[in-house]
Amino acid sequence: MLSKTSIERILTAALSHGGDFSEVYIERSKVSSVSLLNGVVESTGSSLDLGIGIRILEGDKCVYVYSNDLLHEDKLIRMAKNASASLADAPAGKTIVLSPMMEYFSQKYETSPTDVSKSLKVEKLRKAAETAKAYSELITQTGTSTADLERDVWIANSDGLYIKDNRCRTRIMVQAVASSEDDKQTGYYAPGSGEGYEFFERTDIDEIATKAAQVAVTMISAKPCPSGKMPVVIGNGFGGVIFHEACGHSLEATAVGIKASCFTDMKGQRIASPLVTAYDDAKIAKEWGSYEVDDEGTPSTTNLLIKDGILNSYLVDKIGSRRMNEPSTGCARRQNYAFAPTSRMSNTFIAAGSSTPEEIIADTEYGIYAANMGGGSVDTTTGEFNFAVNEAYIIRNGKVCEPVKGATLIGKGGEVLMNIDRVGNDLKLSQGMCGSISGNVAVDVGQPTIRVSEITVGGQA
Amino acid sequence: MDSNIRKLIDELLNRAEKEGFLESEVYYESDSSMTIAAREGQIIQFESSDSCGLSFRGLLNGQMGYAYTEDLQKDMIPFLLSQAKDNCGVLEVKEKITVYEGEKEYPEFNGYNDDLAKIDYDFLSKTALELEKGLLAYDKRIEAVDDCYTSYSEGELYIKNSKGMLCESRENCFDIYLGCRAKDGDDVQTAGKGWVFSDLSDFDAKKCTDYVGKKIISKLGAKPVPSEKTYVVLDRFAANSLLASFAGAFSADAIQKGLSRLVGKLGEKIADEKITLIDEGMIEGSQLSIPFDSEGVSSKRTVLIDKGVFKSELHNRKTALAAGVETTGNGFRGGAKSSIGVSSTNLHFENGEYTQQQLIEKAGNGIFITALHGLHAGINGISGEFSLMTEGFVIRDGKLAEPVNQITIADNFYDVLMKVEALGNDVEYLSPEATHTQSPSLLIPNVSIAGE
Repeated sequence: MLSKTSIERILTAALSHGGDFSEVYIERSKVSSVSLLNGVVESTGSSLDLGIGIRILEGDKCVYVYSNDLLHEDKLIRMAKNASASLADAPAGKTIVLSPMMEYFSQKYETSPTDVSKSLKVEKLRKAAETAKAYSELITQTGTSTADLERDVWIANSDGLYIKDNRCRTRIMVQAVASSEDDKQTGYYAPGSGEGYEFFERTDIDEIATKAAQVAVTMISAKPCPSGKMPVVIGNGFGGVIFHEACGHSLEATAVGIKASCFTDMKGQRIASPLVTAYDDAKIAKEWGSYEVDDEGTPSTTNLLIKDGILNSYLVDKIGSRRMNEPSTGCARRQNYAFAPTSRMSNTFIAAGSSTPEEIIADTEYGIYAANMGGGSVDTTTGEFNFAVNEAYIIRNGKVCEPVKGATLIGKGGEVLMNIDRVGNDLKLSQGMCGSISGNVAVDVGQPTIRVSEITVGGQA
Repeated sequence: MDSNIRKLIDELLNRAEKEGFLESEVYYESDSSMTIAAREGQIIQFESSDSCGLSFRGLLNGQMGYAYTEDLQKDMIPFLLSQAKDNCGVLEVKEKITVYEGEKEYPEFNGYNDDLAKIDYDFLSKTALELEKGLLAYDKRIEAVDDCYTSYSEGELYIKNSKGMLCESRENCFDIYLGCRAKDGDDVQTAGKGWVFSDLSDFDAKKCTDYVGKKIISKLGAKPVPSEKTYVVLDRFAANSLLASFAGAFSADAIQKGLSRLVGKLGEKIADEKITLIDEGMIEGSQLSIPFDSEGVSSKRTVLIDKGVFKSELHNRKTALAAGVETTGNGFRGGAKSSIGVSSTNLHFENGEYTQQQLIEKAGNGIFITALHGLHAGINGISGEFSLMTEGFVIRDGKLAEPVNQITIADNFYDVLMKVEALGNDVEYLSPEATHTQSPSLLIPNVSIAGE
């Protein structure tokens, strides 16, 4: 590890030719994984990642350099000087002195997940594979795996900030494949947590395996989904991916700061139905997407994005804050040292409403019930989004009827938010990975059961 | 390559042998890159990087254990050996495959262009500013160029094992990405495109800005069409992305694990007889050539579908042994961190006989598709189903008419292979637009489009 004085010299060198702010991010990560195919260990992995990223800002201009050679301070200083030279305007010419290091624990574990012997994990994953297989004769393959990460990061900047953060995440993945003569369908669940091995220990993986097998078997008998515009009831938990795609990304300073978002300059205006209140909350204890301090060293916040349909706040990082003239909301994140941080989501969800899920279904004459969602993507400028439905059913006369497969939902963020006409009382969060310009980061999506009065459903029928 | 790293790798292989590994192999990768972004006439972002990673794998008690590090200090050696040992201990199936002794000769290929290596900060920033200016000048409805990147990168690969195999390669490239937004009244559209150049003489800034400018202006006014089953013509970019999404189905690894619909289909007709699908590592004159795979096997030419009949799967040494055939030289790692799997090299349908224009005429009425969105989510890689957001143009009376967006296209990849009516002749490996996976434009009947 680089000493405090080394970091001070690098931060100083980074402002030697130009720039008004310099920052150092150092990371050391241990990752361990094991995965089983049909109950047999297929692969195991261990890795050690180490690297440093140096960022210089001048106004909203950004220079970012990174390396994983931490052995040669002279090389890092040269790198910082070269980076500074690309901004060669007005050298700040100041010598950086850091405050004493402050330590954060974004996640605390009881048992280090990467130190636990893999054979302890294998037993439980094998049993889950057997459970999924035993669920039905139609289940032909199972995949069960776990991966965990322990990461130490050090962040220091020319304002004197110097912190260390301890992070840890654990995830379990279960996939079941059901086969018929000419079709294969999968069921997939992947719960995760901001905890250590204790999360793996207490999770009932058998139950998850049963749920995955159930989805695969249901979908193998499904007919192609109808297409066209219709009402869609979206189930709780991972269904929140619709808000993540249709709205969340477009509220990030990455797009808003350069006025490229469809929600630019709309604070205080109605952007959603009055039933919608939504948060980005990085402070929920032990959640997969939570953290105490972001990748710029700013403490995390509970950010009320939309209140009763009115846009209340954006997701703002340091560069965004300079462009938008608003304080940072503590949302700067990055996959690792190879990415400069930018505004990202943490745990993003629509808050609970008053309807029960049963009422929402009973109140729907015809439409689709999207019980389980897959991933999606969005164009933050036009607001056009798309995402896949992994488990869907027809709703007829207020009842959930036969399963349908191969559905995709598309629309424009602004329109779909306005068309939310029921919000349930069964809020649930689910875990996922979100990809954007600063790489893949752990996020929670979430919502209660909701209904969208009209959305384009793409199916084969 | 740094001679200290060579020494360290030799020491690691020696220590592995002393610690009881019967065989061992090191896979080392290093990359460096420089990227510039321009906006509103200024350089607003500069990124530069230097990174490397080293993966060790060793055979112990009949198991192959892997471990990876980016911390290349001397104490990486005990870390890698102990982690690889621990990982061996958990594996259950006896590993029949060993590390490869290497080929006598490898195809000649140089992916490193000395002229490109002269690219510096000044060139990248000047080019980025010129591209932004050029694109803004294309049409006044283009409001902003939100993504204007120029980048130079180079990488090295070094694989060495205890059986004396040594494979080395080095490559570099210059790439650009342009993404912009245009506004006409209330209508906002975006468009973007990237190019990778392995020769600077192929780069023409005006061609690139004209391409993106034309693309975005043609999208203005796009709206959905009614839901219908109709003819579609997938242009080659849309068809490439569809083929790339299902390329994994041809991997013997997926087939042996039962994770492909092609299980048990070898020798059967799985496509129309107009379809021939080929994977070839070396393509004469193309910088996309790949001389060897991550196991050190020299690349080959494999016909996967021959006039509609499924002839061969793609193999690495492990899947080939299990199937009792020769490897097809497709044993690749996704990066130094991952273990050896199966991936295609330059996978392409053989060209058909029609120009894109002729395909549009043959369709008569239907939809011309220029892009498929959400491929990471909207496809079922096993069953072949896909339902994707898409955009393009209406085809009316054999001609392209108004632009279309906010629609989906849904079908099944395997049904598409069977019902494709005609193939274009636009697969082209020698242009800067070439990608590893390529399909000509395709004319497909009776495809579900969902819209209004």
